[in-house]
Amino acid sequence: MTEPQRDRLAARQAELLRALLAGGEPPQGFDPAQLRVEANALLAKRRSVAAMLAPEVADALGQRFRPLFDEYAAAHPRAVDSGARADAAAFAEWTMARGELPAPADKSRRWWQLRRS
Amino acid sequence: MSRPLRLGVGIGWRPEIDLTVERLPGVDFVEVVAENLRADQLPESLRLLRERGVPVLPHGVTLSLGGAEPVDRQRVAHLASVAQALDAPLVSDHVCFVRAGGLDSGHLMPVPRTRDALDVLVANVRAAQAELPVPLALENVAALLEWPDNELTEGQFLASLVERTDCRLLIDVANLYANARNVRTDPAEFLDAIPLERLAYVHVAGGHEHGGVYHDTHAHPVLPEVLDLLRELRSRVEPPGVLLERDDNYPTDTELAEELAAIRAVLAER
Repeated sequence: MTEPQRDRLAARQAELLRALLAGGEPPQGFDPAQLRVEANALLAKRRSVAAMLAPEVADALGQRFRPLFDEYAAAHPRAVDSGARADAAAFAEWTMARGELPAPADKSRRWWQLRRS
Repeated sequence: MSRPLRLGVGIGWRPEIDLTVERLPGVDFVEVVAENLRADQLPESLRLLRERGVPVLPHGVTLSLGGAEPVDRQRVAHLASVAQALDAPLVSDHVCFVRAGGLDSGHLMPVPRTRDALDVLVANVRAAQAELPVPLALENVAALLEWPDNELTEGQFLASLVERTDCRLLIDVANLYANARNVRTDPAEFLDAIPLERLAYVHVAGGHEHGGVYHDTHAHPVLPEVLDLLRELRSRVEPPGVLLERDDNYPTDTELAEELAAIRAVLAER
């Protein structure tokens, strides 16, 4: 049986991901510099995946893409049931809701679907 | 115990470089990210490679075998279906976790090298093996941080994992280099500790240094130091296969061919 081991491991891993992705307290014993490097690397990875999946959004935002994505990501850590494509789509919706991107003229289409037209 | 399958030299197949991979001379095998495929809709390029007899090995990135939760059987079933569609001789994933506390890290996170974590990993690997039609190889990941909880070295941890699950090893020498740089792994101790007779194949990849930290980007050229580690590994065992991973910032076909040639040259050294 691995229940006690799973419970202890779950607590430590959740604590670490909360710190890296959701602004949680740094877990005890970790090197703060390493936590910063890891958090930045995970953010950069998420940002580059979003840019790859929705290049129209990244292109339309230009220089604003990076700061806006980072602000979005900090406020919306990716949940386990949300895929990378849904993440890119949610970011596009978020930018439109803030008026950073115009809503597409054809309401039935989304920014991230334009490429496939 | 079966003899390791001879694979040769290969490259990671990606949709962006499908024609390049088809054209490159001397590609003995390829690897594909399993989560990006559907068993019933294989890309034409992979069908072509299979028709030529090139082995295509599915590589998982989301099983989260080192995670605290029991392994997700749907994800294992997907990996199994892709393996069957490709008639693959083996599949792989990583010694890592990507999900915890309801959050998805989006990238491969190192597990704490504790006896607790090892017990959980072993249970998850056995559960996955029970559902897979072919052997499972597990890969060492690049870590940017060190768990203060660590009780074992990375080599000891992997050796125990193999002993308890009979899994194969996929050793990434670029990740080993990254860990030597970033989290003080001793490459010689690592290579001494792991059961190299269980080696399925080796990954080689490029990366770069940023702010005093080595990042395993798969988007930069392979460093000579990484090839040195391949050389070091080969001084202990003849690797059954060596595969170049390139995921972004794709260079010209010539440059990729040169990187494969550099790998071949190391393998041909006396």
